[in-house]
Amino acid sequence: MSAPKWLALGRNALWILNPFLGIIAYYHEEIKFGIYFQWLGKMHPMLLHFPIVLGLGVAGYYVYRRDNKKISRFLSPLLIIHSLLATIVAIFGIFLSKQGSYNHDLIFWHKWGGISIAWMSWGLMALHEYNNSFKTHFSLRALVGFVFAGVLIFFTHKGAQLTHGSKVLSWPKEEIAKKITVNMDSTATLYERAIGPLLQQKCMSCHGPEKEKGNLLLNSPDHIRKGGKHGSILIGNNNKKAPLLERLFLPLSEEKHMPPEGKLQLTKEELSLLRYWVRSGGYLEIKMNELDQSDSLFLLAQNWMPSVPYLNRPTTIFPDLKAYTSNYCTVSYSYTGSSDIEVSFYQRNFYAHENLRRLAPIQSQIVNLNMQNMPLHEEDIAFIAQCSQLQKLNLNFTQLSADQLVPLKKLTQLKSISICGLAYDEKNWPSFFENAPFEEVHLWASSLNLPQIDKIRSTYPRINFTVGDNLKNDLIKITSPIIDQDSSIIASHLDINIKHFLEGTVIRYTTDGTDPDSLSSPKFKQTLRITEHTTLKTKAFKSGWISSDIVQKTFYRSEIHPDTIYFITQPDRQYPGNGTQTLIDYQLGDQNFSNGKWLGYLDENMILVIGFHQSKKLKEARFNTLIDNASYIFPLTAIQVAGSLDGNQFKTLNEIKFPSLQKDDINIENKSFNCPIPGEDSYKFYRFTLSNLKKLPDWHPGKKTPAWIFIDELFLN
Amino acid sequence: MNELLEHGLNQNRRKFLSKMSLGLGGLGLGSLMVPGMFDGLNEAEIFSKTLPQFAPRAKRIIYLFQNGAPSQLDLFDYKPMLQRMHGEDLPASIRNGQRLTGMTSNQTTFPLAGSRFNFSQHGSYGGWFSETIPHIAGIADDLCIVKSMYTEAINHDPALTFFQTGAQVGNRPSLGSWVSYGLGSDNKNLPAFCVLLSKGKGNGQGVYSKLWNNGFLDSIHQGVQFSSGEEPVKYLSDPPFIARSDKRAMLDEIAALNQQSYEKIGDPEIVAKIQQYELSYRMQMAVPEITSLKNEPESVVKMYGPECLVPGTYAANCLLARKLSENGVRFVQLYHQGWDGHGNLPNELIGQCKDVDQPSAALIKDLKQRGLLDETLVIWGGEFGRTNYCQGPLTKDNYGRDHHPRCFTIWMAGGGVKPGVYGETDEFGYNINSLPVHVHDFHATIMHLMGIDHEAFTYKHLGRRYRLTDVSGNIINDLIA
Repeated sequence: MSAPKWLALGRNALWILNPFLGIIAYYHEEIKFGIYFQWLGKMHPMLLHFPIVLGLGVAGYYVYRRDNKKISRFLSPLLIIHSLLATIVAIFGIFLSKQGSYNHDLIFWHKWGGISIAWMSWGLMALHEYNNSFKTHFSLRALVGFVFAGVLIFFTHKGAQLTHGSKVLSWPKEEIAKKITVNMDSTATLYERAIGPLLQQKCMSCHGPEKEKGNLLLNSPDHIRKGGKHGSILIGNNNKKAPLLERLFLPLSEEKHMPPEGKLQLTKEELSLLRYWVRSGGYLEIKMNELDQSDSLFLLAQNWMPSVPYLNRPTTIFPDLKAYTSNYCTVSYSYTGSSDIEVSFYQRNFYAHENLRRLAPIQSQIVNLNMQNMPLHEEDIAFIAQCSQLQKLNLNFTQLSADQLVPLKKLTQLKSISICGLAYDEKNWPSFFENAPFEEVHLWASSLNLPQIDKIRSTYPRINFTVGDNLKNDLIKITSPIIDQDSSIIASHLDINIKHFLEGTVIRYTTDGTDPDSLSSPKFKQTLRITEHTTLKTKAFKSGWISSDIVQKTFYRSEIHPDTIYFITQPDRQYPGNGTQTLIDYQLGDQNFSNGKWLGYLDENMILVIGFHQSKKLKEARFNTLIDNASYIFPLTAIQVAGSLDGNQFKTLNEIKFPSLQKDDINIENKSFNCPIPGEDSYKFYRFTLSNLKKLPDWHPGKKTPAWIFIDELFLN
Repeated sequence: MNELLEHGLNQNRRKFLSKMSLGLGGLGLGSLMVPGMFDGLNEAEIFSKTLPQFAPRAKRIIYLFQNGAPSQLDLFDYKPMLQRMHGEDLPASIRNGQRLTGMTSNQTTFPLAGSRFNFSQHGSYGGWFSETIPHIAGIADDLCIVKSMYTEAINHDPALTFFQTGAQVGNRPSLGSWVSYGLGSDNKNLPAFCVLLSKGKGNGQGVYSKLWNNGFLDSIHQGVQFSSGEEPVKYLSDPPFIARSDKRAMLDEIAALNQQSYEKIGDPEIVAKIQQYELSYRMQMAVPEITSLKNEPESVVKMYGPECLVPGTYAANCLLARKLSENGVRFVQLYHQGWDGHGNLPNELIGQCKDVDQPSAALIKDLKQRGLLDETLVIWGGEFGRTNYCQGPLTKDNYGRDHHPRCFTIWMAGGGVKPGVYGETDEFGYNINSLPVHVHDFHATIMHLMGIDHEAFTYKHLGRRYRLTDVSGNIINDLIA
């Protein structure tokens, strides 16, 4: 077994290590340790756990094991190991102690305590190995065990206090705010008003009486002046930045950034405050009233208050807002953890002044208030003027006047105010802005004109006025009127309504096919009744606007219905429409030829016969067709009508030709072709032949191929 | 039967467990971080009490979604190189194997198409805008233009779903639903999430109601689609023979019955129903006042363009959006269809811009002059971009562009964003050169502006916690002022 050999080696090594420990402990101030020793020193916090556990375990074993004979034979090697470890750990501890600066008292006790533990464990090992009475007397062993454990715990606790502060084990209690004293008096020094309490709150946990990281203390002006391990913190060497600022302004991700990550950080304002302070000389005695009032340093210090971390915030400033919220008033915190309250009112019909007044208990926490559109009175303004922390106020369209708003000027935090839509009074408004705390004012629609605005802007350059676009009087075209009548077919009459969404428009119309004129055309009143086939054109006019485009719609009259219809030539298979019903179903197909409402004929004339039970005299027949020359659908070339009494013999009554389509004509159109039927005779049957162009003209991309005609409705009068 | 009995017991058990859910160790920490955590609330109520988690920059969002994908190369991303190389083939090194859609995969050549329009610089940062959007160019100083957006989806449905719900698969809550779930409605008389649709004359792709769906969240968070007709919300007024107090009594009785039903069965949809009835009761009072466009002063009508009074147009929707937003609606989403210019793009684009340019700019100006712009976030953009090569026959003046997910442009205004241009694409307008912004990053940033930590804001469904940004998304701090 080689174990005893190692143990022996270890036991003997103790004779070297322990004296060594004693020497470096006693002469630690004269010795300087190199970087590799410093690295070993960093092992101290890790390795110390082993001897502590072992030591307590051994002490416990002594107390527990009454029977002398049964003492485990492992105890002896364990004690040797324990002693070795304790000594090594203590040595590393000495190395470590040179690296930071720790509280002198604590370090002293912990160091010598640790050394005494190391020596005691050495002694214990010796006792256990060589002393017989120790081995045989339980009570002696137990006593030694107790004492050893006690010493161990006591002195290692000092070590914990070194690392975590002397209050590491004290029972936690809610600290409301660390007792930071801020001297608000105007005769206070800058240090007392801002710098001191700031450092106290954010820096002293590591640079204060309990810990002296980097040998730097920040708890009094003298200590600040003295600086720390690397010298003064306020003055940089070789013209570099002051170390204080350098560390503060490093990005958080940098290791050297102060305060360290995880600790309370400085706010933007606090950083600016310290920078201004250092750059202006870093004077610790200068009084607040000696600084210039417009100096940024003064302003920053004046406005500084200790920032309280959320965890320590007392809950009394977070009242439950349920009591104040209603369907018409929303009250909420700005965000979780903030005591700032935002209030919005909605639905002016439900506004009650009491709803505003019952917010009195939380008045001082309101930072944002939206009263847009609410009918407000002076009492409401008086209430609002008591919301001391108010920063943003929206009074758009609340029908107040300038003199009623005067009480708001004493709200020092009110930076943004919106007063759109309020009546402007040249006399009172400018004085409203004098000495006001506002930085942003929204003034749109306050019936201001350009010269008045320029005057206000130049008188109060500190305020940013937003005025909006209402001053431009652009001429724009008004939208077209809407003909509110879905049906295009007149049975006996149709009542048409023409409407426009902009109030105050004049709608003029014509029924004769001419364009409406703003002076001569009739104005549209309530409704328009039409009885005949009409093309209605209408246009909208309003002063200050360009007149609209013309909207037109054609209405067809269909008095007479045939009793039967019969197709002699059938429509193409692809476009059968609805059969013969298509012609009289009052459904007009639109410009989409494939919507199923059209009858299409390819390369064929449409020939149909209509019949009546009783002979009828027809004046005219009108066919509604589609022209879409890009889709090869062309207009009719001619309509021929013939009448018959018996259905077999037909007598041609009329033939009318229509002009063919030219290249530049409209591409898509619904066009109706009328075929007048002269003569006084009544017939039972009428035959219509609608002629197809058959071959497309040369200018068409599909030239020489067949053409289509599309028909969907027949009107007989 | 057993299930019902169990459910009854579960109610109490759930409350008990929610108190113990963090274990003894977390109790102290929990009650500090989440005030009211132990009030026996469910997750949704906890969130409504704890959000926003930090100071929000924006309180409301108006999202002007340009459906169909507007061509960034003809609007914001000026690429003179394309104009010089008009007609030349797209180098393979630039295309780098990008997936093609079925529409252009049959093309053998990919001729580059330079924009037909002239571009000019506007704003203090010299952003480029095409001549088709003069009004938007006029408000350049308020715009934060992100040129380096990218996504993976190449077709409309998955891309739209991705943009609105954070995943290409469906069934997830939309952006507005998440916001409604987290922050609720500021005005209890209006829904938290409203949707307005309009159509342009260009080639349109449809929108689907899954884009404003509540997914697995409570139905009360669904987007409320307003009608495009003259009455945005139908049947608002009670029939003449019913007094308002009668209605109230009726609703109370129905609510009591529904409540009994809920206690027995426990279907959360019942609760949503009760809440929806209540909301519609309050909307009856609130909506007519808000949606009536008649009282708008003429200067406002001129600013948006006279079309804003014609219901169902984009201009009218913008005006309505402003009115809804200033009355506390948390999230207003507009969809304008017709941007899908696969062919005849320049002509269609002119028509689309005519509809969209003036009202979008007017919305920003309107919010700004009322003092609302700094707390309202306005977003304008589509679901992906368009290719720099032509789809279909290329002529000097006419071309079409296919879908391009690798880079596109979105702009934002108000609500704490920093004006300027973010991100850069290469001179071909095909790849991103710097600062890419993925859809997840975009969502994370929007959430951040609303005061929500996108990684902590989750909902547990089917065993795992979902969030809008799923498992990715970085906040882009440079977009935030």
